[in-house]
Amino acid sequence: MIPLTNFLVLSALLFGIGFYGVLARRSAILILISVEIMLAAVAINFIAFAAFRDPKGFSGLVFALFVIAVAAAEVGLALGIVLRLFRERRTANVDAANTLKW
Amino acid sequence: MHDILGNALNFNMTLLLPEIILAAFAVLVVLVDMFQKELGLKPPTLPILTVLGLVVAGGASLAGIDVHNNFGLLVTIDNFTAFFRITFIAIAIVLVLGSHEYIEKHVNHVAEFYALLLLSTVGAIFMASARDLLVAYLGIEVLSFSLYIAVSLAKNDARSGEAGLKYVLLGGVASAMLLYGLSLLYGVAGSTQYGEIANALGKSTEDLRMPLLLGLTLIVAGLGFKMSAVPFHMWAPDAYEGAPMPVTSYLSVTSKGATLALFLRWFGGPLLPAIADWQWMIAIVAMLTMVVGNLVALQQTNIKRLLAYSSIAQAGFMLMAITTMSDISTSAVLVHLGGYIVTNLALFTAITHFYNRTGKEEITDFRGLSRTNPYLATVITAGLFSLAGMPLLAGFFTKFILFQAVVQGGFLWLVVVAVVGSTVSLFYYLQVIRQMYIFEPEGDTTRWGISGTGYLTTGVLLALIVFIGIQGAPLYTVADRAAYDLFPQGVVRPAASTGAAPAAAPAAPKH
Amino acid sequence: MTGGLVSLLVMGPIFVALIALYMMSRITGGEVIFYLASTVILGGALGAVLLPNLVHSSLSLIATLMGVAAIYLMLLSEFLALVQILVYGGGVIILVIFGLMLTNAQDDPVVMDGSQKPFAFGVGALISGLFVAAAVMAHWGDAEATLIPFTTFGERLFRDFSLPIIIVAFLLDIAFTGALVNARRAESAASEEAAK
Repeated sequence: MIPLTNFLVLSALLFGIGFYGVLARRSAILILISVEIMLAAVAINFIAFAAFRDPKGFSGLVFALFVIAVAAAEVGLALGIVLRLFRERRTANVDAANTLKW
Repeated sequence: MHDILGNALNFNMTLLLPEIILAAFAVLVVLVDMFQKELGLKPPTLPILTVLGLVVAGGASLAGIDVHNNFGLLVTIDNFTAFFRITFIAIAIVLVLGSHEYIEKHVNHVAEFYALLLLSTVGAIFMASARDLLVAYLGIEVLSFSLYIAVSLAKNDARSGEAGLKYVLLGGVASAMLLYGLSLLYGVAGSTQYGEIANALGKSTEDLRMPLLLGLTLIVAGLGFKMSAVPFHMWAPDAYEGAPMPVTSYLSVTSKGATLALFLRWFGGPLLPAIADWQWMIAIVAMLTMVVGNLVALQQTNIKRLLAYSSIAQAGFMLMAITTMSDISTSAVLVHLGGYIVTNLALFTAITHFYNRTGKEEITDFRGLSRTNPYLATVITAGLFSLAGMPLLAGFFTKFILFQAVVQGGFLWLVVVAVVGSTVSLFYYLQVIRQMYIFEPEGDTTRWGISGTGYLTTGVLLALIVFIGIQGAPLYTVADRAAYDLFPQGVVRPAASTGAAPAAAPAAPKH
Repeated sequence: MTGGLVSLLVMGPIFVALIALYMMSRITGGEVIFYLASTVILGGALGAVLLPNLVHSSLSLIATLMGVAAIYLMLLSEFLALVQILVYGGGVIILVIFGLMLTNAQDDPVVMDGSQKPFAFGVGALISGLFVAAAVMAHWGDAEATLIPFTTFGERLFRDFSLPIIIVAFLLDIAFTGALVNARRAESAASEEAAK
């Protein structure tokens, strides 16, 4: 049987990769993809803890389910804003979004 | 009520009536807007409908408080929840009454805007009433999603969509960090319910110290983002500047208030046994927030950005109270929140009406306002002085209570930073007041007035600022009762609480 | 291109080594599946954040998400594995690819990222290292993974957690509204076009 630590290490590496993507990439859609990677790491964590650490075992699973739902909704919402910005500026890079000071 | 398996369900939906009413009215507003032509309705229908829904929901939230019905331990309806329910609903009413002219003129998709306002209030209430990490997280997302959209709704303003994009991307990252922290907390405690987490953390957690510390760090970072605490504040000035004026106001009051409620619920409840692990983190964040917020505010030329940094500094004051978590500091920070909300709403409503007339938002545009509209100049001056903490105004009384509680909690150095910060803040607030009173107006010097609802809202808020400043006892009583419900078993004092279980504290007297 | 090469160079030998180890019966079948899934997940994620072409990135993301579904299966929660495949494979990926098509990403594949990459790498490595250290240094006890049956999960979900389902309904409502108001043309622009 695979111990809990293996799953946690996997999710930690995945989260780090996602964070790198958020910082390194400049396309808004790629930042979204990176956030999805981070959320996948979170879901792995929740399900691993639900299986190993929670005597009742439910709340972690339910949490993971809702994380998936919220992540999907967030992609839809953010893509709407990206599309609108693209219509105004003809680009989907956050670099071009520079009217405001960061 | 029983489910199909015959198990008793501890659900009493009437307790959630305010939230249900708000959501129903949100749908109603959108539907009415869709059939506006067919029904032959005039433009002010939507704001009237929104205010009606808010008033009905406010009445319903006064009616039912029952700490025993708890939806399978998911939410709790106590005085603390009621305090925030009334606060958030009142904020929304003031926003609609005070800026419906602005919304009509400068906001895309008016009906959706009002619907979002109602739904985001629901999210904010769930943040205050949650008793399970899952419900709290969903409340955060309901509020954040509404704000992501609301920020991007300004009409004919290129900054708005950009602010929305930055906010949604950074908000997504912050949510992911918060969630990772929550998952570690869940792994350490083995449950997502506040009560069980408190029990698990009350026992020895030496084996799991690293994940717990990491989880707490990530939770502070994620909530700090929502609260716009330094160093997680980068989104705030951009979002504040790009958003439509009422949304800026909303960001600075409801978003902060709901996050503060969550801070109090989490750090005063499930996380209290681990106070030794998070106290220093919050103290550092609070100090950085006060210092950076006040210093950067000095260089701002846009009134929205100025108020953004000023509200960042104010978030530092509130975090200070989290550092010394006890029933005293909780009621003190609730008093401070009340005064802050009233003051900020007065300021933003006045600035919204200024923008309605002039269409400008630079600080130098306020030149000579005392000649062209002495009333608005008075409101803005009172608001700025109250934020700076001048005596006889709300800000002085609430800051006094707050600083006193923090000193009692043993964090004198934080209060010293806060007092210096307040003094610095007086300098940049005076810049605006100087523009209004010293300089002559440019161009159009005719006197102008604001609408009836504008006079009503700013008048009531101005009266409240003065009233709280002179006679703050009623607000203090209400805040005390709300804070009492957060600590029903009595409080573990920070000094004595390292490792001790909450049960060791003396039992508080019954209601 | 570099990202794809890197992931290929990393993943290929790992596949071979795993199969060889299994042949020599040094590791069990379960472990082979876990390490294979992990390789696919991490390789896919690396591809997603490193590949210069956005379409390749989003396709690489599919590998990650399907690998995550395999991990859910290993953790004995088949329902979530199903949800993961349905929601991500059927919804999110399609949405992202539509987003890429609507913003003409293929015309502008190489975006100006570069200067912040070393910094980003440092932060990402630091975060990964910290999290891995936290996971490895803790004593998690020696509990075994427990199976949660499909039907029990459904009962509990709709009985004990009916309130979160209502809140998530609000959330989806908001997200839908948001996508709609932003993707629709602003009213002033629409009326100007109608006037023409």
